[in-house]
Amino acid sequence: MSDTIAKAGTIILLLLLWQLAWMWGLPSYILSPLEIAKEFFAALGSSELYGHIGASLLRSLPGFLLGSASGIVLGLAAGVSRRFDETFSPVIFLTYPVPKIVMLPLFMLWFGIGDVSKILIIALACVYPTFINAYYGARVTPTILVWSGLNMGAGRWRIFRAIVVPNAAPLIFAGLRVSLALSFIVMFATEMINSRSGLGYLIQLAESSLRFDLMYVSLVTIAILGYAGDRLLRSARHRLLRWQEAAE
Amino acid sequence: MKLVRPLALIAAVLLAWELTARSGLWNPLLFPSLVKIGYELGRFLVHPERLMEAWVSLYRALGGFALAAAVGLLLGMLMGRSARIAALLDPLFSGTYAVPKLALFPIFIFVFGIGSLSKVALVFLECLYPIIIVTYHGARDVNRVLLWSAQNMGASRAAILRRVVIPATAPFIFAGYRVALPVALIVVVITEMISSADGLGYLVIYALSSLKTDRMLAVVIVISALGLALDRALVFLRNRLVYWDRLDTYYV
Repeated sequence: MSDTIAKAGTIILLLLLWQLAWMWGLPSYILSPLEIAKEFFAALGSSELYGHIGASLLRSLPGFLLGSASGIVLGLAAGVSRRFDETFSPVIFLTYPVPKIVMLPLFMLWFGIGDVSKILIIALACVYPTFINAYYGARVTPTILVWSGLNMGAGRWRIFRAIVVPNAAPLIFAGLRVSLALSFIVMFATEMINSRSGLGYLIQLAESSLRFDLMYVSLVTIAILGYAGDRLLRSARHRLLRWQEAAE
Repeated sequence: MKLVRPLALIAAVLLAWELTARSGLWNPLLFPSLVKIGYELGRFLVHPERLMEAWVSLYRALGGFALAAAVGLLLGMLMGRSARIAALLDPLFSGTYAVPKLALFPIFIFVFGIGSLSKVALVFLECLYPIIIVTYHGARDVNRVLLWSAQNMGASRAAILRRVVIPATAPFIFAGYRVALPVALIVVVITEMISSADGLGYLVIYALSSLKTDRMLAVVIVISALGLALDRALVFLRNRLVYWDRLDTYYV
């Protein structure tokens, strides 16, 4: 408990300094932490915010699930099949430094300006971190484990399921964590570029109508969603990979 | 020889694209022919004012990245070598790690204006996280035996930092830089797409709203080439500076 207080100390100190600086006099577009908290809880009472949260999550979560599932499957496949690896992996590594968001306008032409193009662009962005981590995780499977499996008469599928996948799991979770953060960034970007709903749209709307309160409400909401998603993923990792943490 | 299969895959994709474009089943706006994209790409490369747009994006990305590279290196090293500083700063950075910093952009526009500064500031912030986190872990986990040996042989603190800690952390620093550099380009393009009157992201949106898909794709190719070139340049630099540590071939 005291550990948590110590950890939160820096953040509390910063908020306090911010509040003091605000009382000293800051421009009108910077609200104090107390005001932001007040506006945020007021917005929680109205139904408008929930609609935007729902719209945003309906874009980011399907995109994240689709993209990271394909990334894991393709990465594991490239990690265990030399032929697929030699054909496919160079393409992934070549296009890795390319900002995937530039494909959004093209996706909008192909799939319409609605949710499909947004979900697909989020999925595309999420493929890369999960692919690379699953690929690497499968490639570094210790040969001795595979040999032991073969010796004990395990088939190829059994080795894949019982040795390769568990061995790659910690790295896959690291990839999922990056992908989840990325899915929120891309979701926010697509909504700011072109949308009629969602938190990115809300923040654009607030900016153009100079509703600073709304701007901070949307900012706090996205921050909480990002943080909560990351926590959920970490607790899932903790449950699924307890054996691995114990080994460390 | 190793390149044959990936090149064949890319060639097949391009061929499928060209066949789709020529089949007449879809509007040429949706699938412009490669010839037209190539023509637009050529026009881009010979027009000085368009090249200027690429330069604008590049200096925003590199400016923010360079700032983050310097500050992130410093903070990461300090956190890695001092438990007190780590206890102070780690909760701040790991607590806000998963929060999309892009959401701060509208506020940055008010604080830093609509020009380059707000974009550079956002690039800095987004790049800072991966650099700090990776450098911190690298500096913290320097092999103790190496540190003890250096101390035993009477090395001063400065000498240990210069001869042991920095070389041992260098591969991690570059790993962080390599994550951050594409992020810099992503953030620049996104912010230019959202609100800007110049830069490559703006050109993409402008070409789209004037329904010049071929021109838009030419800009997309330029952005991709830029991302690739920056990454290659960083890997080249890394292999020169950190020559004793071979880069993992899977990631090259």
